[in-house]
Amino acid sequence: MIEVRNLSFSFDNNKFFDNVSFNLPENKINVIVGPNGAGKTTLLKLLTKAFLPDKGFIGLNNLTTFYLPQRINYISGITLYEYLASIFFRNSWKWFLENSEKEQINNILNCLEIFDKKDILIENLSAGELQKANIGLGLLSGARLFLLDEPTSNMDLINQVKTLNIIKKLTMENVTSLIILHDLNLASCYGDYFIGIDKTRKIFCADKLNFFDEQVLKNIYNMPFKVIKNKEDIHVQILN
Amino acid sequence: MTKSRKIYVILILCIIFFVTFYLALFAGYNDAGTGLFFKTFHLTDDADSIILEVLRFPRVVKAIVAGSCLALAGLIMQAVSKNSLAEPYLTGVSSGAGLGIVLSILYFNGAAYSVFGFAGALVSSLLVISFAGLSRFSIAKLILTGLSVNLFVGSLISLFILTNADKAQSMMFILSGGFSDVISNRNLIILFLAGVIICGLLIPKLNFLRLDSNIISSFKKEKDIYNILMILISAFLTSVSVFAAGILGFIGIIVPQISKMLVGNDYRYLFITNILLGSAFILFADYIARTVVYPLQIPLGLVIAFIGAPVFIFFLTKKGDIFNNDRS
Repeated sequence: MIEVRNLSFSFDNNKFFDNVSFNLPENKINVIVGPNGAGKTTLLKLLTKAFLPDKGFIGLNNLTTFYLPQRINYISGITLYEYLASIFFRNSWKWFLENSEKEQINNILNCLEIFDKKDILIENLSAGELQKANIGLGLLSGARLFLLDEPTSNMDLINQVKTLNIIKKLTMENVTSLIILHDLNLASCYGDYFIGIDKTRKIFCADKLNFFDEQVLKNIYNMPFKVIKNKEDIHVQILN
Repeated sequence: MTKSRKIYVILILCIIFFVTFYLALFAGYNDAGTGLFFKTFHLTDDADSIILEVLRFPRVVKAIVAGSCLALAGLIMQAVSKNSLAEPYLTGVSSGAGLGIVLSILYFNGAAYSVFGFAGALVSSLLVISFAGLSRFSIAKLILTGLSVNLFVGSLISLFILTNADKAQSMMFILSGGFSDVISNRNLIILFLAGVIICGLLIPKLNFLRLDSNIISSFKKEKDIYNILMILISAFLTSVSVFAAGILGFIGIIVPQISKMLVGNDYRYLFITNILLGSAFILFADYIARTVVYPLQIPLGLVIAFIGAPVFIFFLTKKGDIFNNDRS
């Protein structure tokens, strides 16, 4: 279980989060939703320890983390294969990759359906392909907790679904993920547990059935919603 | 960029290296040249081999040391700071090493110059980094701080040299760039080999730094120790280059950049290309410096800028689009 207790955080003496507590289940897809500027990315950065809280406790249960930021800078002049290979130079001093590592890279490329692009320079790849490669980095890193900041932005509908399928498959292999998503329908399809943050930075956590409730969504987004539930299937519409 | 192409490029660079090596060693006004190549292997006692042994050979060693050390130091700084403008000269590290050597010559009769030079380089690189903000420095801030430290330390060096006219002769090389006598060839080669071997051990890890810094920081622990090691080795390499040839600008910036255009961004290949290209560059510059207006010698730094600028601009216009995505 991932535990956040009495967390307070401020930017330049302005209170941002005040005494926030929640727990997240492991080996599930946890989804953070909320309007722009509510503090979704800040919450992720607190979990990665890129931001340090004023006070409070964050327990990640010793899970190794992989964080995928919203905006990523790419170096030019390397191929997709080399980009993925970078991760294997993390904690070794060796000059050459082992065969097993090369095989692992090829497997991941196949699994993400970008194997045919492996010798293309990354500056010539599309945004969606790059994002797949980034998720591949997470897979290769062997991390057990994936913190993904809008991983499916820039992707077409099919690739969004495919990428989330891969993340879903990961949860079977004991990987916990915490994802920021904007598309509520997509979130309802893939998420197991939800964190909603509203403009006043109040946090509401619930499982799928309790979270997709017209009143809850109205509180988070300050906008009326219509929620159609058909057992596990949930459809969300904004009433405008 | 395919592997075979990279190996092809490295082979061509090897040829260029040996051509410049040959030029620097055998060509010039003082000896006959070509035929000599074979003679030198059974050294006779004639004037030619003395020129080779006493004049040319030490110069060649110093040129190779200075060229490869500067190129490698620049390569490492650019990788760690993720900024293609970082290099030993612009960031003031070279001047720091220069100041260290000047102080050692003035007050300790040249004793422990290597320690002084290294300490100077280290202090100025740490100064620049801490002024620019340790973890989240911006490109502009790093370069501007480096520039200021460079000017400040550079003027300190000039001050020390001007106020100590009796020893000025042995220190002038530090400022203008030229081959020095402060260090014996044997010690220089030992320091050089130590630096290059350590650098070779560390270099594959730079491949990891190609990833976005936010992604890297989720593996935080490893990165911190590693960055400090990298700063140490680049300061060390810079100080070795200053022992060999004084403060030379430009090499540390153009050689790594041209290498990147040639073989892409795999640091294992960049390590080799930087050594070859950096040495070849200074060897050739030295050849020009010795021969163009013989018997005068043009300062090395001048020749480097004179050849380097057009070559660099040529590469930029040809393949400069490599920088378009290079933000940090």
